[in-house]
Amino acid sequence: MTVIHLTLKIWRQTGPESKGSFKTYESGPLATAMSFLEMLDVLNERLILSGEEPVAFDHDCREGICGMCGAVINGKAHGPEKKTTLCQLHMRHFRDGDTLVIEPFRSRAFKLVKDLIVDRSAFDAIIAEGGYISVNTGGAPDANAIPVPAFTAEQALDAAECIGCGACVAACPNGSAMLFVGAKISHLSLLPQGQPERSKRALALVKKMDALGFGNCGNEQYCEKACPKGISISNIARLNREFMKAAFCSVEE
Amino acid sequence: MQLDHRIPSGPLTEKWDRFRFETKLINPANKRKFEIIVVGAGLAGASASATLGELGYNVKTFCIQDSPRRGHSIAAQGGINAAKNYQNDGDSVWRLFYDTIKGGDFRAREANVYRLAQISNQIIDQCVAQGVPFAREYGGLLANRSFGGAQVSRTFYARGQTGQQLLLGAYSAMMRQVKAGKVTLHPRSEMMDLVVINGQARGIVTRNLITGAIESYAADAVVLATGGYGNAYYLSTNAMASNVTATWRAYKRGAAFANPCFVQIHPTCIPVHGTYQSKLTLMSESLRNDARVWVPARPGDKRPPAEIPEPERDYYLEKKYPSFGNLVPRDVASRNAKEQCDQGKGVGDTGLAVYLDFSEAINRLGEAAIRRKYGNLFHMYEKITGQDPVKEPMTIYPAVHYTMGGLWVDYHLMSTVPGLFVLGEANFSDHGANRLGASALMQGLADGYFVLPATISSHFAESALLPINTSHPAFTEAMDTTKGRIQRLLSINGTRTPDEFHRELGLLLWDHCGMARNEAGLTLALGRLPKLKKRFWQDLKVTGNGADLNQTLERAGRVADFIEFAEVMILDALSRQESCGCHFREESQTGEHEAKRMDDTYSHVSAWEYQGEAQTPKLHKEPLVFENIQLSQRSYK
Amino acid sequence: MSWILTILRSSIGKKYIMAVSGACLSFFLLSHLIGNSVSFLGKEAYNSYASHLHSIGFLTYILEPFLLFVFLVHILTGITLFIENLSARPNRYAVPGNERNWSASTMPYTGIIILTFLLVHLLNFHFITRTVSTAELVRTTLSNPFLASFYLFSLSGLTLHASHGFWSLFQSLGINHPKYNKFLQQGGLATAVIIGTIFILIPLLIVTTDSFLQ
Repeated sequence: MTVIHLTLKIWRQTGPESKGSFKTYESGPLATAMSFLEMLDVLNERLILSGEEPVAFDHDCREGICGMCGAVINGKAHGPEKKTTLCQLHMRHFRDGDTLVIEPFRSRAFKLVKDLIVDRSAFDAIIAEGGYISVNTGGAPDANAIPVPAFTAEQALDAAECIGCGACVAACPNGSAMLFVGAKISHLSLLPQGQPERSKRALALVKKMDALGFGNCGNEQYCEKACPKGISISNIARLNREFMKAAFCSVEE
Repeated sequence: MQLDHRIPSGPLTEKWDRFRFETKLINPANKRKFEIIVVGAGLAGASASATLGELGYNVKTFCIQDSPRRGHSIAAQGGINAAKNYQNDGDSVWRLFYDTIKGGDFRAREANVYRLAQISNQIIDQCVAQGVPFAREYGGLLANRSFGGAQVSRTFYARGQTGQQLLLGAYSAMMRQVKAGKVTLHPRSEMMDLVVINGQARGIVTRNLITGAIESYAADAVVLATGGYGNAYYLSTNAMASNVTATWRAYKRGAAFANPCFVQIHPTCIPVHGTYQSKLTLMSESLRNDARVWVPARPGDKRPPAEIPEPERDYYLEKKYPSFGNLVPRDVASRNAKEQCDQGKGVGDTGLAVYLDFSEAINRLGEAAIRRKYGNLFHMYEKITGQDPVKEPMTIYPAVHYTMGGLWVDYHLMSTVPGLFVLGEANFSDHGANRLGASALMQGLADGYFVLPATISSHFAESALLPINTSHPAFTEAMDTTKGRIQRLLSINGTRTPDEFHRELGLLLWDHCGMARNEAGLTLALGRLPKLKKRFWQDLKVTGNGADLNQTLERAGRVADFIEFAEVMILDALSRQESCGCHFREESQTGEHEAKRMDDTYSHVSAWEYQGEAQTPKLHKEPLVFENIQLSQRSYK
Repeated sequence: MSWILTILRSSIGKKYIMAVSGACLSFFLLSHLIGNSVSFLGKEAYNSYASHLHSIGFLTYILEPFLLFVFLVHILTGITLFIENLSARPNRYAVPGNERNWSASTMPYTGIIILTFLLVHLLNFHFITRTVSTAELVRTTLSNPFLASFYLFSLSGLTLHASHGFWSLFQSLGINHPKYNKFLQQGGLATAVIIGTIFILIPLLIVTTDSFLQ
């Protein structure tokens, strides 16, 4: 078993209004097979026993799908590995003696809660505005009634894979949520089932996104690089297209 | 306590129709007068919240995560079953019903399972209408695959993330009701107690995980969709926050706990690699379609796999089960892996792993074909272990995955506390002693979209619900109990963290109430529990205070409940002296070491009733009556 | 018509404004480039081109005000976006970890360089009383080493700005297709480099040779 030692500079902040700062910890010996969050677990166990409050961080499934975990490691959302959530990042990607600067996702729309935890409820608020197909339970036609080309379904799934972790917003220098919104718009506007509300949805989601304090997209592509699911910025282009169609060609306002 | 299953009379195929006709309905204009609390926002909770909101009820939905889109249903990989028979391969509602009952080793109710099979088709329709991007054939129709050794292709899937897509469908339907004002969300809230007034569930006490505030909410019915208790074992494939607290507190308020010893242990997970390990990751069992399971034939053989020549390898599943080979059901595969490791033939650093080898399939079909099929799983495996399964065989070991046991519910999904409904993995109802692959998603959605919305109205129509609010003394009492308990956890100030106790409990359960159980081991574990509990309450260390976000405190509360819960689990395992499904009692096996059911004595549901602190819970039995199918012994030889 | 204002004020509306005005400016840049390229044909050809150009009234009375309008829209929207975006991410990270996408992340700054350049360029060649031929004016103005270096610096900034801008305007207008993406992305970059190089050649040749436009 290979062992490494790291210096951890972790952002500590007791609450949204208090002032935060970095605190430095020596990791002690770490097995390279450990995940990043397990490394934090080990640190926290030590902090608890020494009477210090452990580092608060969000996490749940620890298999890269729930979207709950996330922090910025040395300036990179979810750390240095491509297409990887923080929970799936392992210690073998770091070298003995490395210093890791660990910060929360930062954006005006994501208020800090504590230490590395931020409030991403803005994403839920966007979805509530129309990130769905309005069908009540029970009234659905047979599942095979409307054929969907296999490629279209795959494309829709490419977009629907979004786990809502917020790394796109965190990585964007403008704190923009276009990749998140673009993914949802793409998912639903590609499918025949999503057509009836297509225009309304595009207008409503963009309006809400703007109202929640997310920044503007500058086509800088950092979001795509940070996305643990590899969601492409072609989804942002589609959002731009959908919004234009809805704005200038539909009767919706 | 009376266990009245309330199964409608009449032929099996007509029961659900008959129920829906005979049940009393609530006038649409009156539905808005009812308040319903839903705890949990996984598949069952989100689908129930959405549908109840659509019907006009006022719903409050609570979840422990920061967003209701994160319930652990999201991690389900394989797919969802339905009896559509789109592939024309002989599937039918009856076949899905039969397979599910048989897969559960004949320990589930016929009526519930038949209803599940009936509803399965509507679920697929509903999900497609919501925009769930299921896999398609080139012609645009839905694709299916065969899963978990089923003889028909009835599993609908969206790559390796079917659970995610279904959950996002249910979540979005619920968010639509949030927008409509029918569902109010309470994320980052943990249910701490159930409030029972006049024998009816009328509210809950929660802890706001951000502010630490203890809050109470009143309603006309409470729905628990809080998932399973697999994390009692510390290491499992469950999410870190999955816990037994909600169902356990309900149990302490009078809801019976059914079949708690039925725990599914999934055979293909990435093995444990260190004491710091926090969870285990599942590798889809579809891998077994093309891989061969083996161990070195000689115990203690520590050579790297490539240096072990063919004759010195033991392909134990193929040898033992010539007709099913590597595709035997989950419980059989798991037990055999343990047996091999117990004989000292395990591989890897810990000796607690077996090989899952793709080399034969790669030679036959080519590396490209295998990568195309399993690329994403290989990628996931490589990410975690740093090894490429094409170059060297995967190492796998069984891990706790799903709990068939849960709160006892009747045909209406109502527990023994009137007004308390339990859905999804949190109830015990449909999977008997073993769940089939791709059936958990089906059950969660059936309960939430279709069953509960139909049954809850009969509760409202038939019970006298007095107007109450949270100033009722029962709420004050429950809030005080919760606050007192939190204060107690904070004031111990001992020397061990909640996780240390949790690990100790997990190991105890894994060793003695895991894949194989026997009376001596179970008795030993049962004897150790009170000491563990005592040490927990004397030597626990929780930092910080209760008036803040405090993850150590959250964990401590959950571990305390797991320790208490473990007792009922072990008692249940002790009392069921037969082997069935996932519950393997070493005393009850055939001459060939296969599980031996005892239908005459144990064809029943075991439901445990709380008798008070430090009292042994009382066992009630609901006999299982099979009128439509012939019980048989499973054989995979 | 309030809907149109709502749309143009939205985040995506502003992207459209930047993209459409950017496209207009690109056309201007291209025609300017073609004009400048006449200088490679020699002094006479260049002078003749310039005098013909100045005699077209349509350009002076219609296109110039339009161009001014487009510039203003592009600049003002750009400034609005810059300020809005700064406040959307009030806290920066302690470690700048992203591999910088240089052209994209410097857009506001190269924009300011171009604006400054524009003013200087207009002062040099537009708002002056003409006493000599265009070719001579160009030659004498850019013989000043400070001014020439400023031109070289600014035109490099323009190249950088355009190298992101060309592709970006397509992306903003939703023109993104797997079959053409590579072409748009690489074509945009190549076009920017070609345009930039040709523009840069003029001051460069003036400073380094004695014969150009002589």
